[in-house]
This record gives sequence, C-alpha cells and structure tokens, in this order.
Amino acid sequence: MTKITFVQPDGRSQTVSARAGDSVMQTALAHSIDGIFAECGGAMMCATCHCYIEDARTGEASQGEEDLLDCAEDEVRPSSRLSCQIKVSEDLDGLVVHLPVTVD
Amino acid sequence: MLDIPVNEAVTLADLTRDPYPIYRQMRAETPVVRVAQTNRIFVTRFEHTKWIKENPEIFSSDDPMTPMKPAFQAHTLMRKDGDEHRAERMAMQPAFSPKVIRTDWAELYTKLAEDYVSRLPKGETVDLFADLCGPIAARILAHMLGLEEATDEQMQRWSQRLIDGAGNFGNDPELFALSDAANAEMNALFEQVMPRHIAAPNNSAFSVMLNAKMPIPVSQMYANIKIAIGGGINEPRDALATILYGLLTNPEQLEEVKRQEAWLDAFEEGVRWVAPIQVSGRRTTQEVQIGDHVIGPNETVMTIQASANRDEAIYADGEAFNVFRDKHPHQAFGSGPHHCAGAQVARRTLGQIMLPLLFERFPNMALTDPKEVIWSGFGFRGPLNLPVTLA
Repeated sequence: MTKITFVQPDGRSQTVSARAGDSVMQTALAHSIDGIFAECGGAMMCATCHCYIEDARTGEASQGEEDLLDCAEDEVRPSSRLSCQIKVSEDLDGLVVHLPVTVD
Repeated sequence: MLDIPVNEAVTLADLTRDPYPIYRQMRAETPVVRVAQTNRIFVTRFEHTKWIKENPEIFSSDDPMTPMKPAFQAHTLMRKDGDEHRAERMAMQPAFSPKVIRTDWAELYTKLAEDYVSRLPKGETVDLFADLCGPIAARILAHMLGLEEATDEQMQRWSQRLIDGAGNFGNDPELFALSDAANAEMNALFEQVMPRHIAAPNNSAFSVMLNAKMPIPVSQMYANIKIAIGGGINEPRDALATILYGLLTNPEQLEEVKRQEAWLDAFEEGVRWVAPIQVSGRRTTQEVQIGDHVIGPNETVMTIQASANRDEAIYADGEAFNVFRDKHPHQAFGSGPHHCAGAQVARRTLGQIMLPLLFERFPNMALTDPKEVIWSGFGFRGPLNLPVTLA
C-alpha cells in the first residue's frame, strides 16, 4: 500500500492510502483533500490540481504540463506539478504533496 | 443488457420551454434514452455525463456533419480531439490564465463594470438583461480578444449569428447567409487590427496567438476568436441574469450572501442551477456500455449537464436555488479536455466584481414581477429579460 501525505498551507497534514494506478489528483479527490479541485477531471486542461512536490521519484513535468502550470491560479515554483499527471505506484510510498495558497 | 428505450413524446419545443421536469423523469426512469425527435441519445445522470466527457477516445468531439463548420467557416477546436485540440486551445489559453486575469482583466473589468452600472438610472425600471448583462459581457470580451474596435452591438450580433448558424441542423440557407455576413465583418476587423497586435504585443488572445513562438495558422486564429465570440457572450450574460434572478427571488439568501460576502458561492450556485450551456454532443467511436445499455459506434450522445447538475444522487433538492447548499463540484463548465476555457474569467468578473458592485449600487433593487421573466433554451438557456426596479 502506498502512503501519500498531503500538507495544507497552514501545516495541517493528512496521510492517506493511495491505490496504485490512480493519479495523485484522484487520490486527493477520493480522500476529500482541500485545495485539489481537478475541474477538468485529469485532462490536463485546467490547472486546478496544482501542487508542490519536491521528490525526484515523480520525474519531470512534460512540456504540456509546464504550459498549463503557467495558467495556474497560485504561485508557480520550481516544484510545481499538476497532480493529475503523477501516477501512483508502490515506488512513490511516502510521497509528500504540498497544497498551494491562493494568491489574490 | 437492454435495448435503448425510445422517447417518442418529447419535442424540442418542450425542451426549449422547460426541460427540467423532463430531465427529472429521465434521470429516474430512462437515464439513457433515444429521443426520437432529435435521433440523439440523451444521457442525464451526473456519473454518466462526467464519465463521457472525460473519455474522449470513446466519445469524440469530432462531428463531421455539424453545422458549426459552415457557420464558423472553419473546423474549430470545439470539434477536435487530442493533440490537435490541445495545440489550438493552448495557443489562446494564456490570455485567459489567472495570472493575466489578475494583471489585466480584473482591473479593466472593474472599470468597465463601474462605467456600465453607473449608466443605469436609479429609481427607474430597466431590463437588466438587455441593458447590462449582454453589453458588459460583450465589452470585456472585446478587450480580452483584442477587438476593442468592435461595438457591443456588433459583438452581440456576431455571437448570435454564429450560434444560430451552429444550431442550424435544418440547413436553413437564410441562417447561413446571416452567419456568412457576420464572418465577413469579423474577418475584416481581424485584418484591420492584426498589424497593431504584431507591432505592440499585449495579453489579448489575438496578440498572444500572433506573437507565439510557434504560431498556429492564421485561419485557425480566426476560428479560435470566433469560437470565443460565439461562446463568450451568451454564457456570462445568461449566468449573470440567472444569478440575479436566483438572488432576487430568494431575499433571505441574498441578505445572507451580502452579510457573508458569499458572491462566489452565489455564482457557483447560479450556474449549477441553470447551466448557461445545458447540453454537449459527443460521437461514439466504438461500441460502448452506458449504464444498462450498449450503444453502437457513430451514435450522437447528448450529455445533459443541465440535468447532471440537479441529479438527486449528488444534490439534495437540486431543483431549488440554494447558495448555502452542501458544496459539490457541478458540471456547468464541463469536464475533460473541453472544460470551459473561460471558467476562471467568469468567476472573477461576475462573482468577485460585478455581483458585489451591482448590489452595492442598488441594494434594494427588485424584480417587478418574477412571473414576467421568460426562460428559454435547450442548448443554451437563461432568462430572455430581467425587468428590475433599481433602488
């Protein structure tokens, strides 16, 4: 079983069990994690599943993902990812995902 | 596995007048049903409509027979899938990104909204649909696309001609003649403003597309701008009118919205309650099971987000306008690759700027009589008028 920890901007964290094959975004939705909206359902079209991940195991964002990140609501950092583009596997056990703050 | 039931009774006229009782019955009894009069399969439950839109390999947007093609004089991104769709959409998307909304459009919209609202005569009765909802939607869109030279009247007329042409399933030559004339006017304006956008790059959609590192063909830029004109006026216009109607007919909710400044919640509830775009078509690329039914390839499936947004499985008392209901994502902006590109712009302009501004200026405005408000539409739906006394 793969455990993923979601950390809110205020420091609250929640560790959940993720199903292999789901995306990190789907895992977040399944556990009602605040801050992940995923309006387009994982089509890489809305950037509402934006998060920060500093973990080399998740690989690099594709060009398409980079383009979308430019359209994200929140501050984009080098660690920015779209959680719909990261597939859960046992290799990702212990992954830590930080949720963004809305800038306004 | 069951044969798809056929509904011989329902007519387009019924659906245009009031589709909601029909959808409620369909959700309960025939959630996947062929509507004989349209020869299309209606899918009305939340889980199915969402799933269909999120599986474009099975449910394609590409429809070679759509009247959209003659209406827009182009095969547009709305009717494309995969990489081809993505390339054209992403060419325009930066102009609608939250970043550019913050840097450019929010401030401009605030100024425009103040201007348009200040023209409304306090103490008098006006039709807010015609005097505010349509014109302000046209004005901000003209700026966002880089077409400031177009008048509100032109923008609204072009939009309507494109929509009428795109819905011209009966191939009425009169409607295509009107959309052709609108296309000629739009093309002439595009040619006129193109040098300006090349000389002085800016954040408007036309300029962003023209100055991209790897620009899409100019013909597709034209098609993209026309899609934005066809799709970017009605929706915010109808959304605004719908939200205002919902708030003005539910004064206790309006007071609570003012108290909590819950304008964004009011926005979300309005578009959930009556989605400005009610229906989206997809074509099956293979045999596929939806619910208890198997559907063959090359069938046109109508995903009815208007119905999904009131599905009893998701929403308690979904037929009612209730800003303070338990939150659940709605499908008014669709889902999947064709998720509305204007969703964030709409939330910010209407939810964060227009609604608080309007109620601050006219805190006691009231509908003259809710029964006078006429609702209409099957594909696109909203009030056709909104007579309000401004106070």
